[in-house]
Amino acid sequence: MPQPQKDDQGGRLLHLRDGSMRALHASEHVVERGFHDVHLLASLVIGMLLVGFLLVAQWRGNDTVTQTLEGQSDQDLAIIIQELTVENVSLRDEVMRVQARILDAERATVSRTEVLNEATRELNALRLIAGLEAALGPGIIVSISDPDRVLLPQDFVALVHELRTGGAEAIAVNDVRLDARSGFGGGNGRVSVEGQTFSQNYEITAIGASSDLEQALTLPGGLKTTLTTFPGVTVEIEQSDSVTVPAKEAPVLVYGEAVQ
Amino acid sequence: MLVLVLALALGVTLGLLTDIGVPPSMLTYAGVAVLAALDSCISGVRSSLEETFTDRAFVFGFITNTLMAGFIVFIGDRIGVKELYLAAVVAFGVRVFDNLGVVRSIMFRRRGWE
Repeated sequence: MPQPQKDDQGGRLLHLRDGSMRALHASEHVVERGFHDVHLLASLVIGMLLVGFLLVAQWRGNDTVTQTLEGQSDQDLAIIIQELTVENVSLRDEVMRVQARILDAERATVSRTEVLNEATRELNALRLIAGLEAALGPGIIVSISDPDRVLLPQDFVALVHELRTGGAEAIAVNDVRLDARSGFGGGNGRVSVEGQTFSQNYEITAIGASSDLEQALTLPGGLKTTLTTFPGVTVEIEQSDSVTVPAKEAPVLVYGEAVQ
Repeated sequence: MLVLVLALALGVTLGLLTDIGVPPSMLTYAGVAVLAALDSCISGVRSSLEETFTDRAFVFGFITNTLMAGFIVFIGDRIGVKELYLAAVVAFGVRVFDNLGVVRSIMFRRRGWE
């Protein structure tokens, strides 16, 4: 019986058969030790424990690797690449759209800023003209001395008129700012303006092109000549690069309203 | 035999409880090591049925098989024949099935089924 097996299937199988036959023999004749041997049982149990543990660890590791690119098949990788390409293109489109929107927004902001700047300039000019802001700039300082108190309010009206004609942007008399509604009053050697009364010494400051302003007053037959013909009156005009004109309080209008 | 199945189940439970995963780069090593351990266990069962079991041989075989398997994979990696681990897989697989066949036939004979 063993001979043909050896010829047919080679030595290994025969050997196996031999082993099993021997085992069979043994189990028949010897009292079965089997799994009752403590060492044997302990070794095998520990071995199986290890196998189970390693199996689970391996299972977990395999799970994670299939989620990474390394573990993917070529077809899957191709699909992933295609998906990523499509996504890439759409993201690029979105980036371009967003950039266009940013440009639009920037342009809008710039134009809004320009409008705002323009409005601010306008407002500043209006506040300057209305006298709500102190003004600083080149101009002239006119010092008038009238020890004999001969000057009349009309003389100051004429003076202010001349200065305005000369292009004055802001005018103050003894640090009292004049605006569109200011008027001169008084008499008997006193001059009152904006509720304050002055006499004898006057200092008029005006902001504008200083040489033009000076010329407006010193023209032949102009106001300076006229004023200095009064007894005791002296007029001194000084050009300055930096003249300060103070602000006045905002007017409270009772009757008038702006027509929209 | 039931004890061994229970031990395997306990090992699996332990693995599940400890939340350990093999890092991807070590997967092949651990896989071959698992096969080697499984082979050692089954050949242990076989030798116990054949009355040739010694614990020393079993433990030694268990360790050397596992280490050798890892070494073969390592060599394969180093010399650029990554498929060398297949040699270990085939060897252990054949051994596992051989031993399983022997164990089965011994048990069948003992119970008079064959």
